[in-house]
Amino acid sequence: MSSVLSIKNTGIRFGGLVALNDVNIEVPEWEIVGLIGPNGAGKTTLFNCIMGAYTPNSGTISYRGTDISLLPTHRRVAKGIGRTFQNIGLVRGLTVLENCMVAQHPRIGYGAAGALIGMPRTFAEERRLRNYAMEVLDFLDLTHLANSHLDGLPYGTLKLIEIGTVLATDPDLLLLDEPSSGMGPDEAHALGERLLKLRKTLNLTVLMIEHHVPLVVGVCDYVYVLNFGQVMTSGRPAEVQRHPEVIAAYLGGEVDESSSEEDADVPA
Amino acid sequence: MTATATEVLETVRAEPTERWSPSVQGWVARLLVLGLIFGSVLWATANVPSYWADRISLAAIYAIIGLSLNIVLGYVGQVSLGHHGFVGIAAFVAAYYATQKAGCTVDTCSFNTFMTATVIAALSGAVAAMLLGLIALRIRGLYLALITLAYGFVAERSIFEIPFLTNGGAGMPATRPDGWATDREFAFLCFFFLAGVIFVDWRLLKSKVGRAILSIKHSEAVAATYGINVTAYKVLAFVLSGLFAGIAGSLFAFHETNVVSNNFNFANALLWVLMVVVGGLGNRIGVVIGSAFFALFPFLLLLIGPLEHFLRDTLHREPDYFTIVIGSGLAILTLIQYPGGIGEQVAPITRWLGGKPFSMHPEGHEKHKAPKKQRSGGLLAKVGLHKSQVSTENNTEELAALGRAVEGSKEDDSE
Repeated sequence: MSSVLSIKNTGIRFGGLVALNDVNIEVPEWEIVGLIGPNGAGKTTLFNCIMGAYTPNSGTISYRGTDISLLPTHRRVAKGIGRTFQNIGLVRGLTVLENCMVAQHPRIGYGAAGALIGMPRTFAEERRLRNYAMEVLDFLDLTHLANSHLDGLPYGTLKLIEIGTVLATDPDLLLLDEPSSGMGPDEAHALGERLLKLRKTLNLTVLMIEHHVPLVVGVCDYVYVLNFGQVMTSGRPAEVQRHPEVIAAYLGGEVDESSSEEDADVPA
Repeated sequence: MTATATEVLETVRAEPTERWSPSVQGWVARLLVLGLIFGSVLWATANVPSYWADRISLAAIYAIIGLSLNIVLGYVGQVSLGHHGFVGIAAFVAAYYATQKAGCTVDTCSFNTFMTATVIAALSGAVAAMLLGLIALRIRGLYLALITLAYGFVAERSIFEIPFLTNGGAGMPATRPDGWATDREFAFLCFFFLAGVIFVDWRLLKSKVGRAILSIKHSEAVAATYGINVTAYKVLAFVLSGLFAGIAGSLFAFHETNVVSNNFNFANALLWVLMVVVGGLGNRIGVVIGSAFFALFPFLLLLIGPLEHFLRDTLHREPDYFTIVIGSGLAILTLIQYPGGIGEQVAPITRWLGGKPFSMHPEGHEKHKAPKKQRSGGLLAKVGLHKSQVSTENNTEELAALGRAVEGSKEDDSE
């Protein structure tokens, strides 16, 4: 199967700090690929490079065979890459439904002029946006929250709403940044079910950063381990789990020469 | 495939839950109140003394300026202290066009000339604001505020001093168009433009443009991942603000009938920021009310008879002088006590007028309102499925593994 996303020799440096160094990652069609690694390993930095928030110093990032390294973020989104954030990437001040409506931005079939005059097409489009947003929320069992504001909702729910907004952008490739953070084991389990269901029904490919090991083991087809900006190892979840270097990196064993906790992950 | 898709559409349709809507009497009452408000404003304009009508047209112009500033301040979330630059440039351009190019004399000026002058002025305001918008892509917050401040001063010291454009200290005449020349007629003309600006503001905010701009205000990174072209929309917001400021500038020029650079100084820009804050950031109706209040304030002050004597003879100050003093006080009160400004205070009434039940709290009734579900060819129809058809049964293997893993983790936790 062909790769949806292929990251080749990508490196990025912030001053003297090498955040990513010669990273090679392939995300094949219809797979859920995990990205794990200790804090400051460069996972979120890699996401920022994929989305275009950062420009890598070297290497290429291509999506379905075309190089997207130079495209601005919104063009990458229009191509079908959706992303969630480590902290909540939602627009506070808008309701849940409105968030899902804004997220459909690139596919809105009227221009500023149409909006101004208020053509029938504009209203039809607005109705379509609303319906589509409702359908996404329905799919995630969130319809009861459609008109509520974000303040006061539990963190785990916000994480799920965020997945909803990303689905509203109509992605082919989902980049999930710690989707289970703020969730208990049961919720994380439910999330795992949801991801598998999403993949099956919407034909999605997923690349996700995740710390919750059971979720990674249960859901991912393949796992990359990042450490100090480099791919340390990769393989089937079960293999990676037993890899001595991985255990060392997580638990701080003898392989780890310097336990520096520099956090290169800039929160979005 | 086609057959399945049709079926899907059928199943997705859900029973539409009823939305609260006013009764016929309710609508009549709302229309009556609305008519009363507009009627009294128009009646007042038609019947007050001429110098009051003159002030009312200034109130309408201020309201347009307020809406212009509201885009930058309320929607984009940046402070502009240089709005007198945009308004001033547009005013001079309008006056210059009317007097020097179209040949208006002190006695007569055709309506078409006035309209052309206003369009040109609006465009020049938009261009001036676009420059600032491009700067705003790089710089924001306090530093952008400083740059706008500098921008205003530069405009004051350079553009407003160009002799051929501003006619030096004597000022550039701008004769009011024929048929709209009296104070009263000109006030109605200003109302037309205000209505137009409100309409444009309302339509854009209600559409994808407004949602995009609001998202950018909250988080540019999130807006970009929603597929919004952050750069373009930010510049668009500034351009729109400049366009409104340009219209206001042109109206101001014809309102004054002779534009001098003293009309536009930092005190104006400050007053405009104050009136938007007091009106309520991002609240259209509040901003219009706040702006009108600030424009009329000196006259309202004079309604109190003895006060005029006190201000003029004891303090030796014109009533205008106190607008900014009182305005600052109101702004402090707004920021500390009533963050939503006038707009929030009148919100129960405006919500009611907009066809919602009367309630003092914004979501009083909406909390219980089940959103309407409708059929659509959306998310699942794309792949020919409905939610109920999506089962997880086929995933049993994967899920079993997941379940075991979760169980494992729980055991780990308990250990």
